[in-house]
Amino acid sequence: MWFFVVLCIAFTSASEVSAQDSLALRQSRGRQIYRQGTSQSGKQILAYIGDASVEVPGSSIACAGCHGLDGRGKPEGGVNPSNVTWESLTKPYGSKNPEGRQHPPYTERALELAITRGVDPGGNKLLRAMPRYTMSREDLSDLTSYLQVLGKDSEPGVSDDKIVIGTLTPASGSLVELGRSVTAVTKAVFDEINSQGGIYGRRVELQVVEGTDNAAATRVKLEPLLKEQQMFAMSGAILAGAEKEIIPLLSQNDTPLVGPFTLYPQLGFPLNRQVFYLLSGLDGQARSLLNFIAQKPEFKKSNLAVIAPRTEFYTSVIDAVKEQQKKNSSNTPVIVQFESGHFDVADAIKQSKQSAAEIVLFVGSGDDALSFMREAEKLNWFPVVLVPGGGIGAAVFGAPAGFDRKVFFSFATAPADHTQEGLQEFHALATKYKLPSTHIAAQVSAYAAAKMLVEALKRVGKDLTREKLIQVLEEFHDYSTGLTPPITYGPNRRIGATGAYIIAIDLKEKTFVPVSGWVDSN
Amino acid sequence: MAIDSLAVVAQAPKISIAQAVRRYSCPMHPEVTSNKPGKCRKCGMTLRLTPPKSETTPPITSINPNTSSAMRLPDVTIQDQNGKSLSFYRDLVKGKVVAVNFVFTTCTAICPPLTANFRRLQQQLIEQKVDAQLISISVDPTTDTPERLHAFAEKFKAEPGWTFVTGDSADIDAILKEFGVAVANKNDHTPMVLIGNDETGYWTRAYGLTSPSALVKLIIEAANRKSP
Repeated sequence: MWFFVVLCIAFTSASEVSAQDSLALRQSRGRQIYRQGTSQSGKQILAYIGDASVEVPGSSIACAGCHGLDGRGKPEGGVNPSNVTWESLTKPYGSKNPEGRQHPPYTERALELAITRGVDPGGNKLLRAMPRYTMSREDLSDLTSYLQVLGKDSEPGVSDDKIVIGTLTPASGSLVELGRSVTAVTKAVFDEINSQGGIYGRRVELQVVEGTDNAAATRVKLEPLLKEQQMFAMSGAILAGAEKEIIPLLSQNDTPLVGPFTLYPQLGFPLNRQVFYLLSGLDGQARSLLNFIAQKPEFKKSNLAVIAPRTEFYTSVIDAVKEQQKKNSSNTPVIVQFESGHFDVADAIKQSKQSAAEIVLFVGSGDDALSFMREAEKLNWFPVVLVPGGGIGAAVFGAPAGFDRKVFFSFATAPADHTQEGLQEFHALATKYKLPSTHIAAQVSAYAAAKMLVEALKRVGKDLTREKLIQVLEEFHDYSTGLTPPITYGPNRRIGATGAYIIAIDLKEKTFVPVSGWVDSN
Repeated sequence: MAIDSLAVVAQAPKISIAQAVRRYSCPMHPEVTSNKPGKCRKCGMTLRLTPPKSETTPPITSINPNTSSAMRLPDVTIQDQNGKSLSFYRDLVKGKVVAVNFVFTTCTAICPPLTANFRRLQQQLIEQKVDAQLISISVDPTTDTPERLHAFAEKFKAEPGWTFVTGDSADIDAILKEFGVAVANKNDHTPMVLIGNDETGYWTRAYGLTSPSALVKLIIEAANRKSP
């Protein structure tokens, strides 16, 4: 008896709490249940299929999987899930579904019974593919609150007359100027499209989020904005060192990002679906360098040494090198790592020379690379030196003469990618919007990203959702931005142009000499 | 209720090899065929006994009762959910009792229930000590990398003895064609389970959401089929 009373009290207080919660809050909790099959309360949601002997977590079979994010139902494999928008469920004359099942309109209570017991308001069993769910009373009530607005809830960052696109730019540190140029060109692309009437009558509004040169502080600034869902998507964000902090936030908050600035794309499995990179990072470029060398018969059997600082960023580069080397050659590379900022040149020479390496892939600072080559010269040892990303820059011309045309850089894009039309369009934009004349390479990337996003938004059409944007981007095949290599994405592909151009260093003439066309990184 | 009966309807007529090899056709209208002697419905000529395909080209594997023609599962190289390369027929089907279904990992509607059903089926097979292999073939092999299949298998707690199959799309297509489930659009793939005993060449099919206990029965029945 006492037990019963206690239970009643517990139950009443729980439902009172939920009644006090605003409708919007309940709907937003219900949306998570509908879309992901999980509860914010952390309470279990289970699904039972068929004769109820099959039990799976709700997250494996969330409502949206079959009924769609818009509630209209996604036919698949011979199953036609019902339209579960409130207007459809509550049609005053009831419904008759294709199987001939007829039932009066749904009420909230009837809907709860459909979800938990698998029967419609006419007492008929639902389709076998529709699971029955168990969840707490509060979760069930949140879910039905959400179902009443399903299909009517507007997409984050989108209203009748505008689409909010965010960008991230550093307000302090060495990249401030670059950030200004990038933001200016992104804004110019959007202003230009707005001057032509916007996209399906909506203006594209740029929201600039100011980061810092500190990854954690940048996260603190960006995260609340993503949580509040102010931006529909982002374009040309400058990540510079904050990749590991920022990239996961985008998928957690369902916010697509097109064309971030980074040399370290986060491509691990499972795929971060929200982030679309334009060009190869250092890992992809390292693969291209190895593919370039593998084409040369004299290096077919050469040993490879990789010299890289021990930081989490370079792990992906080293993994990529190992994997690519496995494909190209039977020789396992020797990996020489050192503490970042403490390059032990003697040790690097010793280890790589001991392994009889004829090819050295070098990741790190220009000074370290130069000291490595000078030490090697003393031993009269002149291996081929591969530098993904060409991070050394013009300092490489200080290398010993014995390395003439033995040092190779990779670049993810080259002037060869600039089409006549692309250049004209960019120059016209630069003149019209008085773009700065600095950081042209960065401007070109930001321009390509914004242009691609605009194209994708157009292809999605008026009925704009983030999911559709991602699907449309995944269908980009050899899309020409006019200023980058052609861009292709796919369900497993998030690098638009997977490859690089290889450039040899002529130390006599002190020039960069293109020695390859596009070398794919696969 | 209606669906349970569907499972039975979807189940194939069980035609033994002896029956399957007898075919009569019209000498003038080869498309007019029958499994009994009789007259052509177009021209009235007496139907002639025609040699079955299997006599001219013996099947490597089994008989598909649904088409009464030889099922030649191609021995193409495929990859499992652990990235291991396997020969489809030799490693997964040859000499075994198998239950095969068709999924893809980006399918959010029908595939999760189908896979959950298979998971429960595997548990029941283990509990009842029935020796049968489960095979889930991706109908979207270009997207479904072994990594994706691995994550999918893990989500549904697949145990050893359940292989998820991907590979070159031409190879997977060849397998799907032979099973009679090839479709142009992956979203139209049939929610079906094929149950076969390779040794005896007996194959049958059932609706993918048939209850696990009914599937176990079909598998036991397939396993107990004597060689013809």
